[in-house]
Amino acid sequence: MNDFREITPGGRPFTRMYLNVMLWFVGRAVQAAARQDLEVKREFEALPHRFTFALTAAPDGPSMVVGKDETGRVKYLGRRPGDYPLHVRLTLKSMEALFLLFTFRESTATATARDRLYVEGGLPEACAVVRILDIVQVYLLPKPVAKLAIKRYPRWRLKRHTWDRAMVNLRAVIGY
Amino acid sequence: MRLPDYYEFCCRVKIVAGHDALEKIPALLGALHAARPMIITDRGVAGAGLLDVVVGALQDGIVIGAVADEVPSDSDFKVVRRLAKVYQQKDCDAIVAVGGGSVMDTAKGVNILVSEGGDDLMAFTGAGALKKRLKPLVAVPTTAGTGSEVTLVAVIADHEKNLKIPFTSYFLLPDIAVIDSRMTLTLPDVITSQTAMDALCHAVEAYTCLAKNPVSDACALEAISLIAGNLLKVMKTPADRDGRLALATAATLAGMAFSNSMVGMVHTLGHSVGAVCQVPHGTCMAVLLPYGLEYNMHKNGEEAGELLFALAGDAVFARTPRDRRAKQTVASIRALNQDLYEVTGGRHPRCLGEVTGPDGKIRVPRARLPEIARVALGDASIFYNPEALDEDDLLMVLEAAWEGIPLDPARIRKG
Ligand SMILES: [Fe+2]
Repeated sequence: MNDFREITPGGRPFTRMYLNVMLWFVGRAVQAAARQDLEVKREFEALPHRFTFALTAAPDGPSMVVGKDETGRVKYLGRRPGDYPLHVRLTLKSMEALFLLFTFRESTATATARDRLYVEGGLPEACAVVRILDIVQVYLLPKPVAKLAIKRYPRWRLKRHTWDRAMVNLRAVIGY
Repeated sequence: MRLPDYYEFCCRVKIVAGHDALEKIPALLGALHAARPMIITDRGVAGAGLLDVVVGALQDGIVIGAVADEVPSDSDFKVVRRLAKVYQQKDCDAIVAVGGGSVMDTAKGVNILVSEGGDDLMAFTGAGALKKRLKPLVAVPTTAGTGSEVTLVAVIADHEKNLKIPFTSYFLLPDIAVIDSRMTLTLPDVITSQTAMDALCHAVEAYTCLAKNPVSDACALEAISLIAGNLLKVMKTPADRDGRLALATAATLAGMAFSNSMVGMVHTLGHSVGAVCQVPHGTCMAVLLPYGLEYNMHKNGEEAGELLFALAGDAVFARTPRDRRAKQTVASIRALNQDLYEVTGGRHPRCLGEVTGPDGKIRVPRARLPEIARVALGDASIFYNPEALDEDDLLMVLEAAWEGIPLDPARIRKG
C-alpha cells in the first residue's frame, strides 16, 4: 500500500507562525484599543455581558479569542477558542484565506463576498466585531496598507491618528 | 465586467413553470418517491381560493395526507413544532408549501424536524448542523417577490425568547419550485407592485454589490428585464396571465441571484425600517432602491449603468452616453416608482414620508430615523455594500429617502 501516498493537511510552518504572531498582536491591540479608543470602548460597552468572540481559520488553524471579563474589561484571551463559550465566531475557510486577510491583500468585506469568511452567532454583534477590527487595523497599519484592508479610510482627528495610535501600539506590545 | 477571482453559485432547485404547472406536482413527487404530501399554507392563501386550486390540481394524482392552513404571518418555533407533529401523525412523506416568505420559512423548519427527528430546532442552527437530505419539499410561491422558493435560508422566530433565528443550509433549498400563473393572478395591485419592487431590488443589488458573479449576473439581468417589461402592464391588466408568469419567473431568477450574491444597503436600511416601523418589505425596497444606487455610484457606476439596457430597453441605452447611464438607471427606477404611484392612485409611496398604515396615518415618523439608522448598523447585508456606511451615513440616506429628494453628492463620503 506504500504506493498510495496519504496527504494530511497542515504543514506550511512559516504561514502558521506568521499568523500566530499576527493574531496574537491583533488580539492584544483589540484589548489596547478598547482602553484607549472611545469608539471601540463604546462598541464593547454595547455588547452583552461577558461577550466573547473568536477569529479562527478552519479546520484548526491559528486563532485568537477576545472577550469582556466579569467587570466588563476587555481582554485578549489567548488562542484556544474551544475554551470559551463564544457569542460570535468569525471563521476563515482555510489558513490560506486567513493569510490573504492578514497580508492585507484582501479586506474582510471581500473575504465575505468570496465565501471565504463565515460568521456564526448573533449578526448585530458580528457587525460590531467587524467594525472594531476595522478600527484596530487603522491603528496598526500604515495608511496605504490599511486602505486595502478596509472599505473607507476614516477621517480622524489628529490626536487619534498620532497619540492614540502610539498608545494603542505601545499597549499592545506591553500587554496593558 | 469585473470577473471575481473566486466565486460560488449553487441553486439545485428544479423549476417547473407555466399556466398549469401545479398539475405536474403528483408526478414530480412520485419521482422523489413521495406519495402523501402535507400542504402547508396560510389563511390568506386559503381565503383567496388558491388552496382550492392547489388541492384541485393535486387530488386526482396523489393522496394529500394533511392540509395545514394556519401559518401566522410571523413563523415561530411553536407553529413549526405543532405542524411537525401533524406531519408525523398523518404519516406524510413530503411537504408542499403554498404561500409567501413566512409559509416557506415555516415549511423549511417543519422539514428539519420531520427529517431529523426530535423537536429541538435550535440544535440545527449553526453552519453545517444539517448533514443530510431532508424530506421532499415543493415550494409554490403565491407572491412574486421574496424568491424563498430558491433560497437556502429560513428565519424562524422564537417568541418565548424574542429572537429571530436564521437557519442556513443547502439542504433547506426546496427540491422543486412550482411557478404557476394562477397563484399570483388575483394579487391586489399594491401587493403586486411591492413584491415586484422587492424582486427588482434583489436583482439590482445582486448585480451591483460586492459578491456579484457572472452566473448570478445572468439571472439578475433577465429578472430586471422581465420586471421592467411586465410590471406596469400587469398593474393595468391584472388578469394578464403571461405578464403574471413573467413577474413570478423574474422573482425566482432574482432569488437565485441574491441567494448567491447577497444584497447591500437597500436591504440593510429596508430591514430596519421594516423592523422599527412595521412597513411592508417591498414598500421599503421601492423607496430605497434609487438611494442605494446613488450612494454607491462612485464605486459601482459601471455596473449600475449596465443595468440600463435591461431596465429601459435598447433605444434608451443606445442614446445615453456611457458616463450618463448609471444616473439614467436611477432616473428610470424613480420614473417606475412614479408610474406605480399614479397607477395605484397614490397607494404606492415614492418616499418614506408618504408611507401610511391602514389607518391612513404616517407610518415612519421622521423622529424615528435615528433609531432606524442605529438598528441598520447591525444588519449583515451592510458587509456586501460597496461603500462603507456608518450611523451618520445611514441617517443621511434615510433623511433624503424620507423627503424623496436625491442624495446630495457632496455628502457622500467616498472611500
Ligand atoms: Fe428583499
